[in-house]
Amino acid sequence: MALHSSMLTWVNAAGLAESLYFIIALPLLGAFISGVFGRLLGRANVNLLATAAVAGSFMLSLLVFAAINNAGVTAPNPFGDAVPYALGHDYGTWFAAGGFRVNFGLAVDHLSGTLLLVITGVGTLIHLYSTSYMEHDEGYWRFFAYLNLFVAMMLTLVMADNLVLLFVGWEGVGMCSYLLIGFWYKNPAYAFAGRKAFITNRVGDFGFLLGSFLLVLMVAALPAQAPSQAGRLEAGAAQVGPLNLRGVGALATALPYSAAKAPGAEVTLESRVASGPLAGFTYGGVLTAALLLFLLGAAGKSAQVPLYVWLPDAMAGPTPVSALIHAATMVTAGVYLFCRLSPLLVLSPAAMATVALIGGTTALLAALIAFTQNDIKKVLAYSTVSQLGLMFLGVGVGAFWAAAFHLVTHAFFKACLFLGAGSVMHGNGDETDIQKLGGLRKEMKVTWATFAVATLAITGVVPLSGFFSKDAILHAAHTHVVPGFEGAMHVAYALGLLTALSTAFYMTRAYVLAFEGERSKDAKVPHAHESAAAMTAPLVVLAVLSVLGAAWAFPLLPGTHEPVFENFLLPVFSVTEQVRAAAGTVLVPDHAGLPWGAYVQAWVIALIGAGSAFFLYTRFFPSRAGQPLPAALAFARNLSRNKFYADELYEAVLIRPLKFVARLAYQVLDALVIDTVAVRGTAWVTAQVGSALRLIQTGDVQAYAAIMAAAALGGIVYALSRVMP
Amino acid sequence: MSFFDSHLLHAVIFLPLLFAALVALLPAAEKGQIRVATLVAMLVDGVLGLLAYLKFDPAGPEFQLEHRASWIDEFGISFHTGVDGLAASLLLLTVFLGPLVVMASWTYVDERVKEFHLALLVLQSAMLGALCALDIIVFYVFFEASLIPMYLLVGVWGSEERQMAAMKFFLYTLVGSLLMLVAILGLYFVVQPAGGRSFDYPTVYNGLLSATGEVSRCVATGCDASTLSPLAAALKAWGPWMFLAFALAFAVKVPLFPVHTWLPDAHVQAPVAGSMILAGVMLKLGTFGFWRFAIPLFPAAAQQYRTPIALLAVVGIVYGALMCLAQRDIKKLIAYSSVSHLGYCVLGMFAYTVEGATGSAYQMLNHGVSTGALFLLFGMLYERRHTRLMADYGGIARVMPLFTAFFVVVTFSSIAVPGTNGFVGEFLVLLGSWKSALPLTFSVLAATGVILGAAYMLWMVQKVFFGEVTLRENQGLKDMGGREIAAALPFLALIVVMGLVPQPFLDRLNPSSERFVARAALGDGASGVSEQQVMMPVMPLAGQPTAAAPVPSRTNKALAGLQLLRPGAVPPQVQP
Repeated sequence: MALHSSMLTWVNAAGLAESLYFIIALPLLGAFISGVFGRLLGRANVNLLATAAVAGSFMLSLLVFAAINNAGVTAPNPFGDAVPYALGHDYGTWFAAGGFRVNFGLAVDHLSGTLLLVITGVGTLIHLYSTSYMEHDEGYWRFFAYLNLFVAMMLTLVMADNLVLLFVGWEGVGMCSYLLIGFWYKNPAYAFAGRKAFITNRVGDFGFLLGSFLLVLMVAALPAQAPSQAGRLEAGAAQVGPLNLRGVGALATALPYSAAKAPGAEVTLESRVASGPLAGFTYGGVLTAALLLFLLGAAGKSAQVPLYVWLPDAMAGPTPVSALIHAATMVTAGVYLFCRLSPLLVLSPAAMATVALIGGTTALLAALIAFTQNDIKKVLAYSTVSQLGLMFLGVGVGAFWAAAFHLVTHAFFKACLFLGAGSVMHGNGDETDIQKLGGLRKEMKVTWATFAVATLAITGVVPLSGFFSKDAILHAAHTHVVPGFEGAMHVAYALGLLTALSTAFYMTRAYVLAFEGERSKDAKVPHAHESAAAMTAPLVVLAVLSVLGAAWAFPLLPGTHEPVFENFLLPVFSVTEQVRAAAGTVLVPDHAGLPWGAYVQAWVIALIGAGSAFFLYTRFFPSRAGQPLPAALAFARNLSRNKFYADELYEAVLIRPLKFVARLAYQVLDALVIDTVAVRGTAWVTAQVGSALRLIQTGDVQAYAAIMAAAALGGIVYALSRVMP
Repeated sequence: MSFFDSHLLHAVIFLPLLFAALVALLPAAEKGQIRVATLVAMLVDGVLGLLAYLKFDPAGPEFQLEHRASWIDEFGISFHTGVDGLAASLLLLTVFLGPLVVMASWTYVDERVKEFHLALLVLQSAMLGALCALDIIVFYVFFEASLIPMYLLVGVWGSEERQMAAMKFFLYTLVGSLLMLVAILGLYFVVQPAGGRSFDYPTVYNGLLSATGEVSRCVATGCDASTLSPLAAALKAWGPWMFLAFALAFAVKVPLFPVHTWLPDAHVQAPVAGSMILAGVMLKLGTFGFWRFAIPLFPAAAQQYRTPIALLAVVGIVYGALMCLAQRDIKKLIAYSSVSHLGYCVLGMFAYTVEGATGSAYQMLNHGVSTGALFLLFGMLYERRHTRLMADYGGIARVMPLFTAFFVVVTFSSIAVPGTNGFVGEFLVLLGSWKSALPLTFSVLAATGVILGAAYMLWMVQKVFFGEVTLRENQGLKDMGGREIAAALPFLALIVVMGLVPQPFLDRLNPSSERFVARAALGDGASGVSEQQVMMPVMPLAGQPTAAAPVPSRTNKALAGLQLLRPGAVPPQVQP
């Protein structure tokens, strides 16, 4: 600590906090310049500018990261005590109306600080890689503008200190993803994939918005009902808005789990909201609803069941994009969101169980689909979906640090895998079919070595980072107890184990088919060429990180068994821990020594998976070439290859009916009923009445006189009838 | 207030008319001169309008830059102008669009150029007048006057079926506004004693206040109608009808489902200028009318019809979006998207929460900017290809990259991506509706518009811009020229500025929203809003500082109301 303090005396924490926006502004500026003047500047300048913008952000992030490791550095918190080990600055009102306000506030704590380094660090590597990967593309300036914009949006997402600003980043990255997936827009399928991604994400964003509104209503209802409990919730909300991330913690602290846990509390999760639009619902019910809506949002962004269908199609984008957006950063936003909402999540065991089951299901489903994919990017895409599922599983069982840890290690090894795949494509005439590759081990040495390391990491081989992070999640799923939902957690754990087995299998399969054996006869080019240094250097760095990431899982001090990373994130999850302990919703056993049993078990699982794949694809299938599969296996393979017909299901259940209703409503209701019958009908009736009346208006004076006389006569008769008795 | 301040709005309103006279003197063959003269008029008007907007002090009194001159004293009509926050913002939007509309039509319109620009100038004056009017008759005159030039724009410079569309537009709107005229006259005779009658908006409003309060409390507590004061009884009986008459006039203009079918036809047939003004400003006259007249004047009746109208708005949001998914014609798609977007405006307003109202007002501005820009950009494409069908395009991004970039940014604004203007408005509207007493299902349904909006807009963008260029006609299309960039760039700037720095705009809207919500809440007897809180300041007529349009005491009004309902009643004596 003394070392830290002395090192950082030259950093003015307050000044640094005020300058946090620079981290976002640099890539934003880069995006603007590349986007508007990119064609004037030329390729070399754009490459330099875009990469430098992100690298500059990385430097600043390093500075910030160093600063927040200093015990004295705190971020202001209008909802209570200042936040330790964090920097934050409030730039004032973004928008406000009535009782609602959103401030433009940025904050960096250990979680967002780590992600800052990942985003800008991996981002810089991928920018560097792209300078070589996109060297023949006409639209380089557009590409780098989008990529810089993406980095800016992603940084906004993790640095935002409130949910609305987070949502700006959230939709912003979605927008960039749309633009980048459809980057080669001339191919209609690619353009469609971009649109599909955006709209699926929008379904999730719908949930995000609605969840936020529920939180706003809760923050508005609570202080009025329980002023003593709400603490500084109301004052803080008036100052920085009800959707502030510190406010999430304040809200969770103000809501005791049940009357039994907090005798004498005015309001608990079991009490009903007294006034406002939510009157009559229990706080707990509203909270669970809000969290499930957020889960929908997270499922959209992080490609979970049932909204995962967009991610595999998103591989239409250039490969560096897949590495950065669809593996390392954007898709993990859902996990990040739930880490931020963790104080509330631990108050709702039902929501936790749902998150865990959704995560587990996604993990296994995607892994099963990955078994039979032949497109190397598709394998990696489903693998990403599967790994994200594992992270959600971790979140669902209350192991937030483990989920965040897996997020980071996954960013390293999956980015490495994707960039490796890109390198393979670059050296093989854009071939993506692993059946038509093979034997690359000898021809692309660096790519092979790094890909192999990353494969071992994701497979979960000791002592690579993937092993520890995955095991931390599975271990938590095994040992954490959520009273009332033990069964669900057991299922989730089983799903997790099966996923680990499957991961080892399909990753080994992809590796073996692409790199081992002989070069395929169907290969596009006879000999692959190794990529340039700008592409291989990032691969090496990422491979090294995939190994070194494991260090964060080591025990902090000899004799204790708390992993470094868990300890590191303690300040971030301290409120969560307090709320969890008070509510007793998740029972976490003490660290009773390293889980050797679990380590061995995971090791065996990885070996079985990898070993069987290795055997099958190097020995068994080659020897049986040409023989048909048994019927049951063929059926399973078709099911997997067709992604369990999820797209077809959506098409039949949702999209077609919607289109049909739209067309029907347009042709029948709008064009026929409203416009023709009602509107033109009225006009027609008016015209007809006019024509009819024209018949009376003959211009025949004698007829007029006759009618007048008749009317007068009638009048007189009527008058007489009234007067006469 | 200085002479300049009190006459600034007059200058803004009548400057285009003045230039219209000038343009009328120019020879019809001098097309260039006519265009330049009109552009100068719009630009100068824009500067004046911006000045008025900047002079508006959010913390100041409700109506600012106010001026009242006697006009037809016999009927109590005065030329009363002034703006509140909403009117000032819409005024800014109108003068912002003015020059851009002229630039958009620079080459688009080449026939009857003189008449076209005359129509534009007259239309500008009429719309600005309607926004600034604080006298009900003056408003009505301007409101109706704006119909004629728009009718001509669609009917003369439109495409194939322009006559049908123009006629439909004209008759549709006229039906509504004639009923409104009846209601205005009814109001005039019911509220005030003979001799002291006035069409002055604040006077009329204050005159109705106590009776409104009585009616709302009566409705809330279920009182016996016979205990009401005569004016309140009259208001209770006739208020709903008058409200409906006003509401119908404005609902057609908005347009609210199911009286929206004129809009697609009018938009499809209108020239680019017509579409831009129609979407940009004229539809806002409908929402503005709800905000200024229909709801504050009859809060009790509005309370009664609040849920049905909010339901229509929600149906409009979803239905409009569904209609978009079924279109093949791009302009029709944009037109139906307007139905959907304006649904948000109406929903936010009828949420009766400050968030909702401010969001609604902001959404009015946003829609003007983003849909105005969509029509402008599509106009450029139409000028090149003369077809509106999506199937006739495809792969445009390749031949017109700059144009595509503009269009995509505007699309993001239209589907409310955060960071663009659309998001702030949509977010506040949805939040406001969640916070309101409206059923939660309304808010949830309205939020599905977020998904559907993205679905139809991106579908259209993909069809038009992405893929290979399949048709030979599209291969040689020229990208945007200097004039076109100059016309589109201000829209882009505003989209970003209003998205990133919305607060200066919201600051001007917020006080108006608070007043609006308080006035609307008066219709709910249980809300606890007192009449004094929502009283409007009345500006005395110049020269008659005390006697003009006094606010009659309760008994007087009551008497007047009572007697007027009896045929052949003698006008009552006005007591001191």
